[in-house]
Amino acid sequence: MVKFLKPNKAVVILQGRFAGRKAVIVKNFDEGTRDRPYGHCLVAGISKYPKKVIRKDSAKKTAKKSRVKAFVKLVNYNHIMPTRYTLDVDLKDAVNVDSLVSKDKKITAAKAIKGKFEERFKTGKNRWFFSKLRLHNLLYIVGENTDSSIVLVEKGRSCSSSALLLEALGVSVPVYVDQMFL
Amino acid sequence: MVAVKKTKKTHESINNRLALVMKSGKYTLGYKTVLDSLRSSKGKLIIISNNCPPLRKSEIEYYAMLAKVGVHHFNGNNVDLGTACGKLYRVSCLSIIDPGDSDIIKTLPGGQ
Repeated sequence: MVKFLKPNKAVVILQGRFAGRKAVIVKNFDEGTRDRPYGHCLVAGISKYPKKVIRKDSAKKTAKKSRVKAFVKLVNYNHIMPTRYTLDVDLKDAVNVDSLVSKDKKITAAKAIKGKFEERFKTGKNRWFFSKLRLHNLLYIVGENTDSSIVLVEKGRSCSSSALLLEALGVSVPVYVDQMFL
Repeated sequence: MVAVKKTKKTHESINNRLALVMKSGKYTLGYKTVLDSLRSSKGKLIIISNNCPPLRKSEIEYYAMLAKVGVHHFNGNNVDLGTACGKLYRVSCLSIIDPGDSDIIKTLPGGQ
């Protein structure tokens, strides 16, 4: 009974071009608007994550690797997965709905967000937000015996987007009982 | 996960309480509306059948954890839950928005 889709909530985008990317809610439209008669929110997310920096890297390389590409988008609530994380970065002055009207406004908004994200990334806080959703080493439990004695696992290859994302969120791994494996 | 063996008595009382909610309260049936009710913080209790797909179950539980809403795992499959709701179709998950005269919300959370 607590409202959790609030500004500064970290979410994962599930559909569209930015599926699998993390974003932060800037503004909610719970009741929808005339153009979008459904619950949706304005999010600012990461289009290109910063790369991993190692000790060997020179200062120039570190600067290049720590770059973040951002995006702004209006997303339907059905296409995001809220998480328990928050990212308290003040984005309201940089982004609002009319920055989505024209392309150049969108680009300036994205640049402003990029600056704020890079600043936050360099402080080392909110590490979860700036790390890519690790999908390649997910295990997809295919079958389990009725008394849980045998568990067969298979490397996740083409699981649905929500399955992968839920697993990456650390929610308990789903188990499917497949008749063939019993 | 060792499940507490639900006695027949408590199971019947859950069914009774559900019937009362159906008669006097507000509820929604089905996965989409359950998530809607959680997002808009209208849902007060979520009931999930035991054969709900585990991914969907986890997702609903995660949403409920964020919304601080109790989830009850119904001791029966979607056919039984549909029957308990007095419907002639299967119900995999339902959300109680307003319990009406029933005390289902006070008695259930804290259990499974």
